[in-house]
Amino acid sequence: MKEKFDTLITAKKNPFKLNIRETVKYKDLIWLFVQRDFKTKYKQTILGPLWFIIQPLLTTFIFTIVFGQIARLSTDGVPQFLFYLAGNVPWLFFSACLTHTSSTFYSNARLFGKVYFPRIVSPISTVITCFFNFLIQFVMFLLIDIVFILIGASAKITLYALLFPLLILQLGLLGMSVGIIISSLTVKYRDLQVLVGFGVQLLMYLSPVVYSVSSIPNSTLRNIILLNPVTPSIEFLRIGFLGSGSTPWIYLAISFCVTLVLAFFSVVVFNKTERNFIDKI
Amino acid sequence: MEERKIAVKTEGLKKEYRLGVISGGTLQRDIQSFWARMRKKEDPNTKVNSERHNKNEKFVALDGINLTVYKGERVGIIGKNGAGKSTLLKLISRITSPTEGSIGINGRVSSMLEVGTGFHGELTGRENIYLNGAILGMSKAEVDSKIDKIIEFSEIEKFIDTPAKRYSSGMYVKLAFSVAAHLDSEIMIMDEVLAVGDLAFQKKCLDKMGDVSREEGRTILYVSHNMDTIRRLCDRCIVLEKGKIIYDGDVEKAILCYEKC
Repeated sequence: MKEKFDTLITAKKNPFKLNIRETVKYKDLIWLFVQRDFKTKYKQTILGPLWFIIQPLLTTFIFTIVFGQIARLSTDGVPQFLFYLAGNVPWLFFSACLTHTSSTFYSNARLFGKVYFPRIVSPISTVITCFFNFLIQFVMFLLIDIVFILIGASAKITLYALLFPLLILQLGLLGMSVGIIISSLTVKYRDLQVLVGFGVQLLMYLSPVVYSVSSIPNSTLRNIILLNPVTPSIEFLRIGFLGSGSTPWIYLAISFCVTLVLAFFSVVVFNKTERNFIDKI
Repeated sequence: MEERKIAVKTEGLKKEYRLGVISGGTLQRDIQSFWARMRKKEDPNTKVNSERHNKNEKFVALDGINLTVYKGERVGIIGKNGAGKSTLLKLISRITSPTEGSIGINGRVSSMLEVGTGFHGELTGRENIYLNGAILGMSKAEVDSKIDKIIEFSEIEKFIDTPAKRYSSGMYVKLAFSVAAHLDSEIMIMDEVLAVGDLAFQKKCLDKMGDVSREEGRTILYVSHNMDTIRRLCDRCIVLEKGKIIYDGDVEKAILCYEKC
């Protein structure tokens, strides 16, 4: 076209373009989506926000019984409840990011079909909601951790704890990237959506949530588990807040690289999908 | 004559849909088709079952639309069901992308293809105003400055702090429309939204829309089957048939043309 326009819509679009400036304009919408999710989640429940911490406490309690008391898995000398909680809280964050973003297109189809805003707003607000959820749970963990340390349990907070923001960023980005890729692929084939539910559950057993990497006897298996991009971050969080275990830095570096590659890939897939998905879903 | 500013311009706009089930239905067929495309060969799945309305038969919803809308125009779009009215609005509001051609837009677009998009039943009327406003492209500060006017316009002050799920459908529509009526965007796109709500409120909304358009030079694209609302609001009208523009110009003549075809 000869004339100049603010917005030009054409049949093709650059798949590598992340429309950051436009997304920033919608920051109020991101924030309102987060508020909506928080406000509506526990409406008309008696315990309300307490549910945020009941869930991890209950699962950790069951883990303690099953894996601690019955299976008697090693916890590197750390009190069992504390050990499982330290793995469970970041795991729940990762899995929530993944499962909730994986239904982005599917569950927002009605909204996306009626009004335009940068579609990336939805997964971003989902991840922010998950993050606040996690923060509440993490504060709870930290308090329990400090109580355990004060009564003389064998746990200590080390300098590695300073890695916390980086590790959480990695887990969130990884969960979101995988979730976005799945949501883009499920526009056409719904199979993956079925897989996500129990796939995440299975992945938990391949991540050091109920055991520590150092307790894996077989060295090949240990290396495989270490290559799971969720593993190093959970292990380093344990080193930081419980002072237990040790993981070579190289695996942390690998998991960061994998995360960045997946994030890049997810942007490409998302861009390609968002343009026409409404005709296909 | 001074040069008028273009608000929306489309060139050779085309949108195709495939008939029947989307995709080959099986991954195997999709891979076959993809592989054929890669080698620039003919899609092996094209010819199968060509008797029925099959997936590879194309339906052209819009067939080369060239339309220039100037700033401040209130354009009515009429045509039979399936003529491509809604598809045109969807393309301009960026809900789906064109198969061919391009659209240039100057200014912010707000589309109301449905009343109350994104309303959440558990949130109160007030909270929904903020949410709906943001979805339609308003910032929080903008809503803040207009919230009193919006609530007043909606005529449901009494229920504004009650969850929207307890609203009657009329209240719902009134609230949703009030938000939309207070948008600041330069271009408004509306699809049959006024069909709901009582007559008095419809009239109030139309007048409000017309007023802002005249005073602030806002551009409106309006689809409706109700010729009275078209007459009341629009100063230009286009008639679509089978994805093509068959008339463009005066409102009364357009309505006559639509009634004949």
